[in-house]
Amino acid sequence: MTPMVELDNVTRRFGDTAAVREASARLERGEFLTILGPSGCGKTTLLRMIAGFDRPSAGRILINGQAIDAVPPFRRSIGMVFQRLALFPHMTAAENVAYPLKMRRFDPAEIPERVERYLELVRLKGFGSRRPHEMSGGQQQRVAIARALSFSPDLLLLDEPLSALDRKLREEMQLEFRRIQQELGVTTINVTHDQREALVMSDRVVVMDAGRIQQADTPAAVYRQPSNRFVASFIGMTTVFPGMVAEAPEGIGEIIVGDVRLPARLPAGGLAPGTAVDCGLRAEQVRVVAPGAPRPETTIGGLVERRIFEGDRLVYEVRVPPLGNLTLMVFDHDPATHAEHEVGARVLLGWNARDLFVFPKETTENATRQETGPAS
Amino acid sequence: MRSARGKAWVLWSMVILVLVTLALPTLVIIGASFTSGDIIRFPPEGLSLRWYRALWDLGGFRAALGRTAYVSALCTLIAIPVGTLAALALARRRMRFARTIQVYLLLPFTIPLVVSGISMMMLFGEARVLGQLWPVGVALCLINLPFMIWAVSSAVNALDPELENAAMNCGAPPVTVFLTVTLPAVMPGVITGALLMFILAFNEFLVSLFLTDSRTVTLPVQIYNSIRNVITPDLAAVSVVYIVVALAAIWVLDRLVGLEIFLKSK
Ligand SMILES: Nc1ncnc2c1ncn2[C@@H]1O[C@H](COP(=O)(O)OP(=O)(O)OP(=O)(O)O)[C@@H](O)[C@H]1O
Ligand SMILES: [Mg+2]
Repeated sequence: MTPMVELDNVTRRFGDTAAVREASARLERGEFLTILGPSGCGKTTLLRMIAGFDRPSAGRILINGQAIDAVPPFRRSIGMVFQRLALFPHMTAAENVAYPLKMRRFDPAEIPERVERYLELVRLKGFGSRRPHEMSGGQQQRVAIARALSFSPDLLLLDEPLSALDRKLREEMQLEFRRIQQELGVTTINVTHDQREALVMSDRVVVMDAGRIQQADTPAAVYRQPSNRFVASFIGMTTVFPGMVAEAPEGIGEIIVGDVRLPARLPAGGLAPGTAVDCGLRAEQVRVVAPGAPRPETTIGGLVERRIFEGDRLVYEVRVPPLGNLTLMVFDHDPATHAEHEVGARVLLGWNARDLFVFPKETTENATRQETGPAS
Repeated sequence: MRSARGKAWVLWSMVILVLVTLALPTLVIIGASFTSGDIIRFPPEGLSLRWYRALWDLGGFRAALGRTAYVSALCTLIAIPVGTLAALALARRRMRFARTIQVYLLLPFTIPLVVSGISMMMLFGEARVLGQLWPVGVALCLINLPFMIWAVSSAVNALDPELENAAMNCGAPPVTVFLTVTLPAVMPGVITGALLMFILAFNEFLVSLFLTDSRTVTLPVQIYNSIRNVITPDLAAVSVVYIVVALAAIWVLDRLVGLEIFLKSK
């Protein structure tokens, strides 16, 4: 089957900087794809090209297997929620939602009922007669969502549609969105810099940085098998530190960090001994091992330097002298059931070898690109 | 707390002072127009509508008022499409002559109206249309058009270009986008500009002086002519007519656009 949307080496340059670089991706019919990346990495630029407000400087975009360069935006069956919403200020919420229906020649008798249904879907029943400036930011955002969905587009583009909502409503809307999307079966591209949202809502996640697609995979794979240092550190709270390959059999090898050798999962294809690498360790995968408890594969002693209470978890910053005085972050998700560790306390940290990510050191070109990339 | 109240007090006194200063001449002239005496003075001697009557009976006045209304309407009707499109083009298109046009927008402040008046008199004389009324309307539109463009430009600049993208995304072709989204969004500017044009044309004197003769004389020129003879209270009455026209314009503006748009940002 031809994919719904296909990006073929899409590049968009503004002057001498490129907002999107050689992006290639495929989106199947009915799929929910999330583009995740830091501010300024080119997410909006990519969506605008798909919607037709902007054109690639190089490369092609295909929808249903057809190159769409020549199709003006108003002939594309694409609903979009804009980052700045772009509600029509002189129309009421209901008129906003009805606008695409009128423009797309829906049966006039059917329009009021449809408007009502979509306002209800975004929980704005009774708000139809308000103007946008008479509504809160979150309500406006939901009008924009209803407007984008009301005409049953083939493709839905969401540019951070939930960013103005408070956390509780946002999390509710994430699940709601997923439900609506599955119910209507509409192919969706969502943009966010909220990793939780990306992981919760999507069939697939595309991680972008500095205009480049870093990884495109299922949420679980992006989380468990990040393909490079950027993805590993962008998703989750990850401590990244340098090391060197000591031994490299297939699968689990050993990395020298500081004065110790740590067993680690090496990337497919293996690495030659002596290769400089970046290692990554997620805070949620490191545990404080209680005395007498079963030990994970790797254990190492450290000193608690800081303790941060975050409500649903405690975060410890633990300095580990054998790892070259590296400071590791450790979560304790269940602090109520055992003693908290004071600052200065000696603790034993442990993790499993497969949770230690190893990436070949990035070339200088890549490394500087990440550091000097568009400021966020 | 105290300092806040002190500040409010100072602010209010200043506001009242300004309002009184601004309103005083108007109040004086309104008062003077109701005099029953023979000379223009404040406070008026007795109250009557005598001078309004006199004004109304003056054949020249009614005709001049009618001509002024015609000229102002013509000027406004031309200014609406021309000014609106010009403002949109200026804001949206990178134009090659943008610089030139900006200079043109400053013209009302740089070129004395006498110069405009003389040059237009020569121009219309050349075209053999001098002595008719419509060229006066066109001339008033020409000299005041920058005000129209300004009024619309401010609305265009406040318009988020993403709105037009959103409309296109909803399936509207460019002309429909213009009619259903762009135009309504800049409408407050268009209405403001149109009323401004009307009032300016209604009041315009110098250029009209060059372009009118005894058969096409407009109200401001008529007033000037009668001042040269004697100053009688009917002049105060004419002034009140002007004030009424201005108030009517503000009322229309309020009904159509809502004054709060001008007093605070949306
Ligand atoms: N019209 C433009 N002209 C010049 N540069 C632009 C233009 N639009 C975007 N850029 C640049 O392209 C880069 C990507 O911008 P984009 O809006 O796509 O980022 P984003 O990923 O959507 O960020 P955010 O999460 O903050 O919305 C930025 O560095 C931005 O400055
Ligand atoms: Mg963006």
